[in-house]
Amino acid sequence: MALRLLDGSEAIVDAAITAGARFYAGYPMSPATELIEFMAKKLPESGGVCINAATEIEGVNMALGAAAAGFRAATGSCGQGLALMQEAIAEAALNETPIVIFNMARNQQDYFQATRGGGWGDYRTITLAPKDIYEAVEHAQLAFHLADKYRVPVIFMGDNILARTQMGVEIEKRDFGALPEKDWQLDGTSGGSGASRQIWTFGGGKTNAPGPGPSEHWKRIAEKFDMIAGIEARHEAAFTDDAQTVVTGFGTGGLFVEYVVRELRSEGHKVGFFRPVTLWPFPGEALEKATENCRQVLVFELNAGQMIDDVKLNVTDRRKVSAIGGVSFDESGLNLGALMDARVIRERILAAMEVSNQ
Amino acid sequence: MEADLFISGIGGQGVQLVGKTLALAAINEGRHVMLTGEYGGHMRGGSTISTVVIGAEPIKSLPNLPSAGAAIALSHQFFENVATRLRPGSLVLAEETIAANLPQMADPRVTTVPAMAIATQAGNRMAAGMVMAGAYAALTGIVSPDSLVVAMKEQVPAYRRQHIETNERAIRAGAEAVPGLAFPVVLDMADGDRVEA
Repeated sequence: MALRLLDGSEAIVDAAITAGARFYAGYPMSPATELIEFMAKKLPESGGVCINAATEIEGVNMALGAAAAGFRAATGSCGQGLALMQEAIAEAALNETPIVIFNMARNQQDYFQATRGGGWGDYRTITLAPKDIYEAVEHAQLAFHLADKYRVPVIFMGDNILARTQMGVEIEKRDFGALPEKDWQLDGTSGGSGASRQIWTFGGGKTNAPGPGPSEHWKRIAEKFDMIAGIEARHEAAFTDDAQTVVTGFGTGGLFVEYVVRELRSEGHKVGFFRPVTLWPFPGEALEKATENCRQVLVFELNAGQMIDDVKLNVTDRRKVSAIGGVSFDESGLNLGALMDARVIRERILAAMEVSNQ
Repeated sequence: MEADLFISGIGGQGVQLVGKTLALAAINEGRHVMLTGEYGGHMRGGSTISTVVIGAEPIKSLPNLPSAGAAIALSHQFFENVATRLRPGSLVLAEETIAANLPQMADPRVTTVPAMAIATQAGNRMAAGMVMAGAYAALTGIVSPDSLVVAMKEQVPAYRRQHIETNERAIRAGAEAVPGLAFPVVLDMADGDRVEA
């Protein structure tokens, strides 16, 4: 096995291209800038195209166009840029165009806008939140697979630690199974030929192939997301069977929580961890089961409380749930702050366990 | 097991280059590696720390290390950012002229290396970091000095290629300046049998 020492950003780009990504359009924004830099360098070498768009809105709509033509296409930014893209992401969800959005966030304040369906209409976005570069290499490929499988936008949720840590990795092409034919992709056949294809947000159609109309179309879209919710929820957990305290966290935060919980376990503390791997669909049933017997559920996230809503919706007794995270940035405001530290997390878990034992 | 190391100094001393050289050398020897940088503002004169984790298996350590078992100190300035995170019994490899100014640490095993003097003799005092890398490799056996030389050559940017020979002399002189395998690190060992470097 030959490992290469890669920045997280470069590993993600290599994995995306290995998965068949051939189009990327975005606008530079720290810590997502390296992503477009590596895409600009590497996509042309693989027969692809990378465009530095004038805005995030332009970038996501270019990706939408490339995906409509059948290419594996992506855009990327950090949370502020993701907010600008939400209208186009809603369009992609409602007109069933598979795009991938790499959100290299500055923090963990994007949980809501990634998981709630940030634009108009009844839809959600599948959101993958890798804990480290090894998992990011898998998720960067899985994102394209799930997008194509369900014809949906998929958000890849990273952060500055994931983007800038360097690790020895080997990028292998992952096989996630067969995919349906893209019999919907626009192929250049023009109107009037009787064979043109159309992608509709409103469920319209054309004279010789009328669509279902808005109401039926949007109902079917909503049902599709219900179906995905029942299939694609992923999680990772350990020590929950006899844990008195179960700690949850996502992405990098989940990695840190896991590390601290393993340390506390080795010291004899009855503590477990639960990490949603998909933020949507949220692995609610698994969380309910993992927290059945515990006394308290702690939520570690670097925001004022976003994932905690999903935790409270799924833990049987929501009074068991409390937050041990908070808003925390570094001085620049562009990166995760001092709270993303195993020593701080450890202190907060131990303090909460002490209160719970009283 | 995983060997974890802080390299600490002042921006401009080549701290990140030393970290990357060690990491690349380990990769070339078939090891798993994680490398991160912690900067006090990405500039010359500020605090700069490189953290390197090397293991026989995929890395389990966190990207910002809560603690480590070894440190290379190129300067006493800003070293407190590292000293508070060293586990008891850690190896501290200190540049000789700054060693006396290091902050108090719990039970360190300090080894000093006259890295500035050796680097000056090798042709450039700026190669002190390379001397320390060579010394660390020889003390621990974690990578061979030969691998360090190859890794250094791989990543010195084109506009600094004139420094390659000096760097190589610095690495090899650093390795010879310390007793070989005085702090051996055995990576191919189960976690339970962990031996501190």
